Amino acid sequence: MGTDMDMDGDVEERRVQVRFITKLKPPYKVPKTSIAIPANLTRLGLSTIVNSLLKAGDDEWESQPFDFLIDGELVRLPLEQFLLAKGISAEKVLEIEYIRAVVLQKEDEPSLHDDWVSAVDGSCPRFILTGCYDNLGRVWKAAGECTHILEGHSGAINSVSVVNSEGTDSVAVATASKDETLRLWKFDTEEHSYQPSKIRAFKILRGHNASVQSVAAEASGSMVCSGSWDCTINLWRTNVSDTEGDLVSIKKRKVKNKVEESQLEGEALSTLVGHTQCVSSVFWPEPNTIYSASWDHSVRRWDVEMGKDLSNIFCGKPLSCLHVGGEGSALIAAGGSDPILRIWDPRKPGTSAPTYQFSSHSSWISACKWHSKSLFHLLSASYDGKLMLWDLRTAWPLAIIDSHEDKVLCADWWKGDSVISGGVDSKLCISSGMSVL
Amino acid sequence: MGASKKESVEVDKKKNSKKTQPTKKEKHNTEESVLAQKQEDAATDYKELSADDDSEDYKSVGESEAGDGESSGDEGNHKSGSSEGLAIDGQSEDSEPDQGAEESDSSEDEVAPRNTVGDVPLEWYKDEKHIGYDIAGKKIKKKERQDKLDSFLANVDDSKNWLLSPTRPSYLLYLFFSQYLELSYSIVPISVALCEDHELTERGVKSGLVRGMNSGVYFEMSHIGMTYLVLRPSLGDTTFNGSKSRRKIYDEYNDEEVELTKEETKLVRRMLKGKTPHADFDPYAVLGLVRAIRKGFIKFDKPKEEPRFYMLWGDDASSSEKTGHLSYIPAPKPNMPGHEESYNPSLEYIPTQEEINSYQLMDEEDRPKFIPKRFTSLRSIPAYENAVKDSFERCLDLYLCPRVRKKRINIDPESLKPKLPSRKDLRPYPATCYLEYRGHKGAVMSISAEASGQWIASGSSDGTVRLWEVETCRCIKVWEFGEVVQYVAWNPLPELPILAVTVGQDVFLLNSGLGNEEIQRKVKELLHVETPTAPEDSGNKVSGWSWRQDDEHEGIRLRHFKSVYSVEWHRKGDYFSTVMPADILFFHYHLIAVLFLALESIVLCIVMKSIIFHPTRSIFFVSTKKNVRVYDLLKQKLIKKLETGLREVSSISIHPAGDNIIVGSRDGKLCWFDMDLSSKPYKVLKCHPKDITNVAFHRSYPLFASCSDDCTAYVFHGTVYSDLNQNPLIVPLEILRGHASSDGRGVLDCKFHPRQPWLFTAGADSLIKLYCH
Repeated sequence: MGTDMDMDGDVEERRVQVRFITKLKPPYKVPKTSIAIPANLTRLGLSTIVNSLLKAGDDEWESQPFDFLIDGELVRLPLEQFLLAKGISAEKVLEIEYIRAVVLQKEDEPSLHDDWVSAVDGSCPRFILTGCYDNLGRVWKAAGECTHILEGHSGAINSVSVVNSEGTDSVAVATASKDETLRLWKFDTEEHSYQPSKIRAFKILRGHNASVQSVAAEASGSMVCSGSWDCTINLWRTNVSDTEGDLVSIKKRKVKNKVEESQLEGEALSTLVGHTQCVSSVFWPEPNTIYSASWDHSVRRWDVEMGKDLSNIFCGKPLSCLHVGGEGSALIAAGGSDPILRIWDPRKPGTSAPTYQFSSHSSWISACKWHSKSLFHLLSASYDGKLMLWDLRTAWPLAIIDSHEDKVLCADWWKGDSVISGGVDSKLCISSGMSVL
Repeated sequence: MGASKKESVEVDKKKNSKKTQPTKKEKHNTEESVLAQKQEDAATDYKELSADDDSEDYKSVGESEAGDGESSGDEGNHKSGSSEGLAIDGQSEDSEPDQGAEESDSSEDEVAPRNTVGDVPLEWYKDEKHIGYDIAGKKIKKKERQDKLDSFLANVDDSKNWLLSPTRPSYLLYLFFSQYLELSYSIVPISVALCEDHELTERGVKSGLVRGMNSGVYFEMSHIGMTYLVLRPSLGDTTFNGSKSRRKIYDEYNDEEVELTKEETKLVRRMLKGKTPHADFDPYAVLGLVRAIRKGFIKFDKPKEEPRFYMLWGDDASSSEKTGHLSYIPAPKPNMPGHEESYNPSLEYIPTQEEINSYQLMDEEDRPKFIPKRFTSLRSIPAYENAVKDSFERCLDLYLCPRVRKKRINIDPESLKPKLPSRKDLRPYPATCYLEYRGHKGAVMSISAEASGQWIASGSSDGTVRLWEVETCRCIKVWEFGEVVQYVAWNPLPELPILAVTVGQDVFLLNSGLGNEEIQRKVKELLHVETPTAPEDSGNKVSGWSWRQDDEHEGIRLRHFKSVYSVEWHRKGDYFSTVMPADILFFHYHLIAVLFLALESIVLCIVMKSIIFHPTRSIFFVSTKKNVRVYDLLKQKLIKKLETGLREVSSISIHPAGDNIIVGSRDGKLCWFDMDLSSKPYKVLKCHPKDITNVAFHRSYPLFASCSDDCTAYVFHGTVYSDLNQNPLIVPLEILRGHASSDGRGVLDCKFHPRQPWLFTAGADSLIKLYCH
């Protein structure tokens, strides 16, 4: 009888020996001694333990949530179940690494547009660039603070990209539109006025025979590439660096006769042919490599100099967004006409099956972006109106941002800790305070 | 000594009687002989059935065939019981003369007798005195005959007789045969190995069993003097009756008396049976065997056990089926009473009063015939009022109801299904709806996808035509007409983004506004017509339409004299045709305005439903109410007529290769025509419960779809092989649901995306849905 009782007690309160480790800086460090904790603890329980340990060392410690990694995987189940599912022995001392949990801190007031927000770029921390269905591009300094309006397209803007943000105060951006052209713009970020200033493009790039779906700039900013419904990818020279020398003169000229400023017309430097359907997304991470995703169900990697595709990943679904990043800046994330976000590792030979598949969305995926610094985090936007933040180490989304009322058409990171997104509800939403590192 | 003597006497007598038989023969009534013969047949049959001759009655019946006398009377047989059938000699002798006479008849009779015993197993007569019935219904009696061993054992009992002479009778016989008569015979050594004592073996071999000695020879032998010697000891033995002493053998060498049990008698007899047919057994041989059996040297299989119980009311059908003649079909059995027929059934069987009342409302046939009731005791059960009626009905059923044996084939219904490839292997096909195009305020009548697949146009009953971006569901443009838009169609050329729209009596050619300036300039040029049509208009009244510039919608307006049903472009984008519910079909060359092909001469008062162009050849298809006619455009004549067999054709679509067309009908059927095969449908798919509103082929994927007023769209796989010997493969893939019914109408149009395996459906619920793979 007595032994039975004991055994029951054992089952109820199974304990595991754990040791908490972290790569975080000293205020977050806990003593490295191993402790026994109940096996049925969840993430919240673990977080409470770590917080109380920290509090023991520092009286003024304020509790904050943590996330826990065992063998490089995020704990999303009660500890016991997690160990069982992963086949990890609970006999020896378990090392649990903790990181700061990703939490949504603050949601800014949405910045209203006149029409659907179809493109957004947050690669420059000083501003946010958006493209809209009212044919205008906009530059936002912060939520609700529009500084520039890019005027000139005759069709809805499909894609925007910051070309060159190296200059201290002058930046160049590119927009792609349904009017089959791309336009290059230049503006001064420091310029300040209460009314948003209207800018005209300094260069119009003509050459596509159908609406231009996507634009991406090379890292140095001297070239941009664009994908279009005419199934081609065009490469363009931006001439930004040429004019950078007489930046001042341009500035002067711009001030003097803004309207009469000559609009240069550019022609495509070269064309990459190979896709059989609309090229919906392009990405140019390295000078010699362009990635493209297309409605013909494929992701291609192009050699810019040779003008040929080096590899071809077949997906089976029309793709509408693509981004490359993560570990070694080599993982290809792409989404399209189904709710699954797929991630391929092209370094793995002999397989075209996606390495990761995230399927929490319920409709088409319209955008996916890797975090520029983190190896594990990426963002996805879907027509179901949700943004999801993913960590490669778990199959569940870290966070779901539900700020849009209708389809989300575009999303990006901003300043490393904010998520910006635009959608059919004509809003640009900024969710800040996410520390993923 | 005495035993064998007695036996030979018996045999003697019988042979005598046999010899007299031929004279008696005529006198005997033939009937009996017939019966006897018959009885033999039956008996041999039975012998075959039962491998062991354990049941002695049957064996004896069978042996009567041999006709070697010694048949015993009925009484004798049955007194000795079924176990052994040992007859008492005296008794058997009494009845011998008749018996022998009867038997003799049987052997020589030429008439083939018939057993009228019926088709029953002979086992049933096992315990009876008769074996069947003759044609007059009299019992055919069993003929028994006694076994040699039995009679021998009966005679051998008195061992003192044996001792009278140092030479035992069979030994003397042996000497006599071999030395005095010099007859050829063989000595059969029996079970030498089994006899453990040498003396016995030696004797066994010496005495042997005499073979080749049939009773006839024996008979003669006894006549020439040996009788005395051999038979004398048994002369006084006739008074023995069935006691144990009969089975005793005295072994003079060991000075002991061995008594055989019943079982042993049987076994020994079985072992010696083949060796000496109807001849004597040597007692020492028997003794050897008995000893061997007792010591366990000889082992026997257990006799097969006959099932003791059998179904008394077993299925009659099984026995009747064997007969070759007129097959008897047994009447179905009445149902056995169940628990509810019990006089005191459980409570759950008793219906409540409400239930009983509800029976009254039921139809006479459905009403239960019996209502369970409870009685405290059997005594209190009243008479069953329907007893006479029920049994009368049963009788009617039994003899008046014609019965036919129905051959039911057991086939697994699964195996009848055609072998179709798995749906998984036929991917991709549209399955899930992710996007909806919202904006129309009335039923969407028609949709059309632009050649590149970036745009779709839709016409609605709210009087608008809308242009949508496929990817984002964005409505790019709206044209207002103020009248129900019946049909929209894109020009198939990507460089000419022109929409043809039918509104009432008008056909509009609209500039979609897509494309760059160059394209726009070209389109505007095309869509510009001078308007000197005022005089021409009146002149053209006969031809029935007029071209006019329409500034409001930036296009051309073609006014017909009747409302236009649909408009269809030629693949090259140069021609289009319009269909009016009248009898006339117009072709328009939309640039030069007048290429007029009045098909009145060809199409005689046929109400046309829709029309399509052949994708590669100058052929077009016109669907009338019931048929599809195929015309050659150049020769302007009818090539073929496809008979649909449908009530009313509603829609038609052609496979991109041009040799197959599908036709949807108002009774929910979809016909697939293989033009090379026949003018009759290759397959008719009856899938929709309501009208099919439209059918569509995919341009590049092997898919086709039908949509219906039942708010669903069906997607099928349809591969057409280039090999002419192979018929098209049609596999139903998916039922697409999601639209809501509005005013009894469901999905009004379906079109495939030109490049993706996606399906657009236009619903009466003012939605357009895109189903993706």
